[in-house]
Amino acid sequence: MMDRAERTADFHRLLSEESCSSDVSSDSCEYYQTEIFGLLPSSQAHRRAHADAVTHDPAESSGSWDPSVPLRALPVCLQAKRDIRERQHLQRRSIGNWDSWRRSQQTTRRRLKEHVGGALSGLLPWRHTLHKIEGQFGVGVKAYFVFLRYLLCLNLLYCVIIAGSVLTPTLVNRSSDDQKTKQPTLDYKDIFVGSGVLENSPVFHSFYTRGSWVDFECLNSPLLFLLGMISVLFLSIIMVVRRTVVGYKHSWLTGNRFSSNLSYKVFCGWDFSVQDSQAASLKQNFIRNELKMDLEEQKFHERVQRRSLRLWVRLIFLRVFLNFLVLVLLGSAFALIYYSIVLSQKKGLHKTLNLMLEYLPPITMATVNYILPYIFSKVSEFEDYSLTIQLNLTLIRSIFLKLASLGIYLFSLIHSDPSACGENAFGKEMYKLTVFNFLECFFNAFFVAYPRTFLVERFPSSSLAQMLGKKEFEIPFNVLDLVNSQTVTWVGVFYCPLLPAISAVRLMTLFYLKKFTVVRCCVPAQRMFRTASSSVLFHFMLLLGLSMSVVTLVVNINRFGPGGCGPFKDTTVLNVTSVCVKTLPDPVQNTISYISSEAFAFALILAEVVILTSYVSRGRANRKAIERLKDMLVMCSSDKRFLVKQHSTITRRQLRTR
Amino acid sequence: MGGTASKLPKDLLSEYQELTFLTKQEILLAHKRFSELQGRENGPYSSRVSMEKVLTLPELKSNPFRKRICHVFSTSDLRDGSLTFEDFLDLLSAFSDSATLEIKSHYAFRIFDFDDDGTLDARDLEKLVNCLTGETDDTRLTVEEMRQLISNILEESDIDKDGTVNLSEFQHVISRSPDFVSSFKIVL
Repeated sequence: MMDRAERTADFHRLLSEESCSSDVSSDSCEYYQTEIFGLLPSSQAHRRAHADAVTHDPAESSGSWDPSVPLRALPVCLQAKRDIRERQHLQRRSIGNWDSWRRSQQTTRRRLKEHVGGALSGLLPWRHTLHKIEGQFGVGVKAYFVFLRYLLCLNLLYCVIIAGSVLTPTLVNRSSDDQKTKQPTLDYKDIFVGSGVLENSPVFHSFYTRGSWVDFECLNSPLLFLLGMISVLFLSIIMVVRRTVVGYKHSWLTGNRFSSNLSYKVFCGWDFSVQDSQAASLKQNFIRNELKMDLEEQKFHERVQRRSLRLWVRLIFLRVFLNFLVLVLLGSAFALIYYSIVLSQKKGLHKTLNLMLEYLPPITMATVNYILPYIFSKVSEFEDYSLTIQLNLTLIRSIFLKLASLGIYLFSLIHSDPSACGENAFGKEMYKLTVFNFLECFFNAFFVAYPRTFLVERFPSSSLAQMLGKKEFEIPFNVLDLVNSQTVTWVGVFYCPLLPAISAVRLMTLFYLKKFTVVRCCVPAQRMFRTASSSVLFHFMLLLGLSMSVVTLVVNINRFGPGGCGPFKDTTVLNVTSVCVKTLPDPVQNTISYISSEAFAFALILAEVVILTSYVSRGRANRKAIERLKDMLVMCSSDKRFLVKQHSTITRRQLRTR
Repeated sequence: MGGTASKLPKDLLSEYQELTFLTKQEILLAHKRFSELQGRENGPYSSRVSMEKVLTLPELKSNPFRKRICHVFSTSDLRDGSLTFEDFLDLLSAFSDSATLEIKSHYAFRIFDFDDDGTLDARDLEKLVNCLTGETDDTRLTVEEMRQLISNILEESDIDKDGTVNLSEFQHVISRSPDFVSSFKIVL
């Protein structure tokens, strides 16, 4: 009893002391509220983190840090880190040998991992160039170049696999055979079309004839060929899916539910790596335009909700009409490509004319793909969608155009009458496409982009220059080009095993060409490009391309039966493994036949279904938990505010009555 | 004069490597640049360089948050934003390639918290947006736009609805934007 009375008195005294010291300031309710808010444990913790090392006691704050977190990852200044380390060392002396050994092991392992990571990232080329581009053009353009570098690394990896499993065995086999010494001259046309000498070179399928080592039945070159190709495809599927999923998890899965568009733009808007003052003011312009556009878009949505019925009807008619127009455009583009393919299969008389004819389909495809996206973006302006939807719509239409025109090309190739060595013919077409892609980039850089810049810089006052202006580097369309060529590589790798090597060289040159285009000929785009969501889009496009190439491969394997050329001359691709399996001991054979039977597949599918279901339900439960926690947070904070308000009114009343 | 590499004692160098995210080369480069700022070489490591001098670095010169950055990383008692070499290393460490999202978002929050009160309120947000769009009258957003923008931001990020964005709410927003790590970066 006594104790409580004393404590109450103590409390009163404390209060009066406080009020004495602050008598001068206003006696409003808010003052007490902020006072109490400042005393809350959560804001105390903040303040402690904010305080400088000089003013706060390290012993007090270091208690809250987890010792397993590396010191460098603590948000305090160096001196404070030193103090914390001192304390940790003291602790280490007092804890057991085992614990201290484990901790030091942890540290060494972490350090080793960092070293290895640092060494690996040091191997990646073009870091300084990328840094410079980032400083001038921001993160978005850099993302394009990083994507290019990623594709280059992927292709180099394929090269290693193919060199190991496809090229070397055949070369070793060949060297034991009699060597053909006739060496016909290499014509310039052969390089572009892949005929003549190249046809019997390691570039194409027919080079890889069957051969095996006598003592191992299993180790024959067709099997190794198949193994190499399958590992290439699996590797790409794993890499691309992994990247897509990571990006997806980051952006859409969470982004859809909690829209925090504007917060991103404000909190993550500034690119701290920008150094150039001109680039900085440009960036400020972007951000301002972007914010204004977003606010405008918000108002647009409000306007949409107030649209009258008549306007709606008119708009729907307009949209249907425009979509019809787009379909007509797409259809005519596809028809044009188809006819160019038909035309190219006729044989002309003159050699150069022939070459032109051979390249007619790729040229048509490139022209169509160059012109139509501009028309699409113009069309989408009339549809009265919001700006983001307009951009996305244009992009989706362009993606469709690009992949579908490639699809039509492949389709017509598959349906053309098979020649003596259909595999080689198919490989040749893919080779041609790759070479053409390269020529196109070269042409685009030096004969379109550069003259335009030259014109704009030399004669800035002429009306043509003012109309054209400098080119903008449009990241999505450039990425689309990359995806397209990568798809060609995947489609062709089975019939033209050296295609990854060719495209690695192409990508390397492309890097410098694009760098030249960006630095010399382009102005930064008017819209900022978000890396995170875009990288999902990039990889999603890659995934589309990859699935297209897998489908083509499956169709092709069925199409070319035995009797063609190359490693699978005498058997089909699927029978190649059975020779090997037959040499194995019985139990292994039984296991393999069980694994490839339907019963096993059924069990596998069932297991997958169970696992997937559990993951989906767990995800749902987590989502609900997030909802509930959010509600709880709101409740807690409103409770807190209510209690503080109550407390301060009571305090004020007490003071008044005294 | 010989390389500046020899000016930094070895044990200190390895200590810096342990306590920051910087590599050896980066620390040496930082030391070189800092001694250039200081004007005299191998000065004592605790001597300060005034904020005006630090801001002449090309990496900071055109950054609209440059003063805030100096203030946040300065350990000076006078709160004048002057930096010692170690403060400078702290700065570079937080902005380095290998710093974690956790630490980057923490410092970003402190840079954006203009009045140092531990939360981002409407006034902080207004200053932040003004820095992003440019401070002059014709580059600023209109009052109406600003009001709409701030209410939108609070609507999105203020999870506990207390009218301000606190550190954990801020980190929540940031953690869902992988862009942030790549853009919150200053490399010498």
